[in-house]
Formats: sequence, C-alpha cells, structure tokens
Amino acid sequence: MNTKVLEIINGIRAAKGLSPFDTVNADTRLREDLGFTSFDLAELTVKIEDEFDIDIFEDGLVNTVGEIFTKLEK
Amino acid sequence: MTFLFDNWKEYGYDDLLRALNISTTYYPYYKTTDVFSYFVNLINALASSKPLVLLDSDINPSEIDGLDESKVNVAEQIVPVSFKNMDEVVSVVQKSKSEITLFTSGTTGQPKKVVHSIATLTRAVRTGDRFKGQIWAYAYNPTHMAGLQVFFQAFENQNTLVNVFNKSREYVYEQIREKGITHISATPTFYRLLLPFEQAYESVIRVTLGGEKSDQHLYDSIIKIFPHAKINNVYASTEAGSLFAAKGDCFQIPEAIKDKFKVVEDELLIHKSLLGSSESFKFTDDYYHSGDLIEWVDEAQGLFHFKSRKNELINVGGYKVNPGEVEVAIQDIEGVRQAMVYGKANSILGNVLCADVVLEPGFELTELDIKKVLSSQLQDFKVPRRIKFVEEISLTRTGKMKRV
Repeated sequence: MNTKVLEIINGIRAAKGLSPFDTVNADTRLREDLGFTSFDLAELTVKIEDEFDIDIFEDGLVNTVGEIFTKLEK
Repeated sequence: MTFLFDNWKEYGYDDLLRALNISTTYYPYYKTTDVFSYFVNLINALASSKPLVLLDSDINPSEIDGLDESKVNVAEQIVPVSFKNMDEVVSVVQKSKSEITLFTSGTTGQPKKVVHSIATLTRAVRTGDRFKGQIWAYAYNPTHMAGLQVFFQAFENQNTLVNVFNKSREYVYEQIREKGITHISATPTFYRLLLPFEQAYESVIRVTLGGEKSDQHLYDSIIKIFPHAKINNVYASTEAGSLFAAKGDCFQIPEAIKDKFKVVEDELLIHKSLLGSSESFKFTDDYYHSGDLIEWVDEAQGLFHFKSRKNELINVGGYKVNPGEVEVAIQDIEGVRQAMVYGKANSILGNVLCADVVLEPGFELTELDIKKVLSSQLQDFKVPRRIKFVEEISLTRTGKMKRV
C-alpha cells in the first residue's frame, strides 16, 4: 500500500518537474512538504480511488500522508 | 443500378421499385436491423404522406418518454401505388407531406423528439447530372439526421449506398476497394478508426466530415489515405438538418438566410423558421439556442469557426475546459490515434479532467510523456490529471464519442 501511494505521489511530482521522494512518512504534509496544489490533491484522490476504491477526501480535508494511510486501512 | 450493398447482399433500384409497388402497408413505428426494409418503409411513408417515427434498431422503446411500445412494428394500410420508374418515386417523395419524427442522439441525457418535413430534411440535397453515378459509403445510423442527409442525397440522384455503419476497419477498406466507393460522409471518429495510413485509395473523390470538431492531424492523414479526395465539412443537427456550407476550414452562413442567425455570448442562435418542431425547443424571441459556441472569422461575410459545444464545457475547480481543445492537442502528439477528454466527479475540484487515449500500434507513450507535451502548450488546468491508455473509445448511437 505504502509503495503504491509513494508511486502516485512521485508521479504527480514528476509531471510538475519535481524530484521524487525515496520515502514518505505519516507526518509528511501534503501541501507544505509535498508542494501539492488543490489540482494535485484532486489527482491524488482520483488515483488512490482507482487503486483502492476509496475517496480519501469524501468526508473532509486530509492534511498528511498518515491520514491517507488511516483512511486506506479502514 | 445498385441501390444498396448491405453485408453480403446487393439490392438494385429495380428491387426497390418492386418492393414499393407491392407494398400495401407500412410501419409508422418501425424497428429493424435490416437497412433495405428500413429504407422501403421510409419511402412508403413519404410517398403516401403518412407520419413516421424513426427508431434506432437497438433502442429499447421504454428509453423514450411517451412512446407506446405496443405500436412498434405494427403495420398500417396504405393505398397501393404503381410507380413506373424511380424518377417518379423521387418526385413523389419530394412533394411528401409526411411528418418525420427523429430523436436527438443525446450525448448527454434523454433523447428528445424533433418533427421534420421533407423540406427541412432535404434542404441540402443537390441533384443533377454531375451527381450521377456516385458510390457512397453509408457510415451513419440511418435513423438519425446525418444518415438521412446522406440517404436523400444518394437516393434523389439514384446513387449507390454501401453500408459501413459500425463496421470494422478491415471491412470498410474492403468495401472501398471492391465497390469503388467515390464519396464518404462520416464523423471524425469514423475516419480516426481508419488510421494509421497503410495504402492510398484512389477511387474516393469526396470526403465529408461532420458532427464533431476535427483537427489538422486527422486532415493530413485523410489526405494520405484518399489522395484524390476533396475534403469538406458539414454542419447539421437533429434540430435543424443541414445548415451551412463549409468554406475552407470555416463555415459560411448563406446570404439568403443571414438574418435567421444571431450570436449571443459566442453561442449561435437559430431562427425557428429553420428548425423542425419539438416541444423540447426553448426560444428566446423566436431564436433557438444551438449550444454551439462559435468564433467569427469575418462577420460581414458570415464566416466562422466552431469552438465547442456549450454544455460540454467541463468545470474544473472553477475553470471551464473545452474538452475538444484538449483532445485536439493530445491527438496532435505523434503516436496518438484518438483521445477523449471528460470530467470525473471529484470532491476537491468538482471535476478532475481525465483522458482516454488510444495509441497507434507500435508506439509507446507514458502518462508523463503526454502531460509534458500538453504542459508546454496548454494552461495547467487544461492538462488532464489522469490519462488512461485504452484499446478503443466507446461511441454513441450516431458514432460520436460518448463523454462519461
């Protein structure tokens, strides 16, 4: 699960010309640390939904990678 | 003279004349997969000035509001006639008082009913000696406006129709070769299915595109496949029939009906006198909102370009994206055969822009490759955020792309 999420994150960063991360941890913040805009976050939700069939933003905002993992573990 | 080739069957104009002369009934609501029977029924209705409702062969009558299923394929008496020849049939059909009901294909939503007369259906038909002997690829659904336009053009000149609607690439090419097809009228999607270029077909002298926005990449490929063809565009709609002639890469509003059009906020408005009739039409001061967004090239001469369909704009985080513009940009990338752009509902942006892409055989492109090319040409919000590579793109009944 974690590697798949990392792969999606790095894919989004690559399209913006940003370098890939080797790892992300639960504290990594989506906007501040990953540099994600609302368009990037939307892409992230769509791709996570494709992969895991879960809309991570369905009930409100998600701020960190840890919060994504929590939603996916449910 | 052959009237129709359908699958492996051939019907002459003498077969058609015989079928008409022995008819004592017709079907006001006819659902059939047999194209010859469908045309016989259409001509029977027109020749006896009886009303006719055109139903798709694959439609479930319950899909249409207010259609009584018990009437479908129930025959009604007509006064038998004895036509001496096809010229007589054509001249009787041209004077028909029939009301012909069509349904809009509805790339979105419920099909809508539109009633036409022979006059609105055949407005664009040209007849005369120079139209004799043409062999048409019949690439549209016969129950829809474009299919009727091609039918009447061919029928009134006693040309040959070769049915290729919904057929495979191999079959289409085989028919062009075997039957010596001279004229093709089809959607851009149909021509894209003929790509990539493998060999030239020299019998084709006229290629007409209609229905959707096409792009330079497609024109270039068509010219390679049909080197002797003159390419033109047609603007026709279920609501109005055929309206404009193409002039170069623009359309031109004919001088005679110039006062029947207005443009408000880029949208083309059409006067009701040019339309069929329908309860679903809404008019502002007798003008109908076509939903087509245009751009003047030369307003005084009535020259314009189509930009997009109004209701097709996709709202992405407050920005309006014209999917056609993005499709053209993707299709211009080497290795791409076809692209469809659509919005996917999303809790953050309202919609996320997505694209399905069909690649040419032997090409490999990644999502990132395509995004990078698009980023250099388009504003960020117009770049699809999810690009899926697919084998084929699903089409509506009329052969247009179905937006999800």
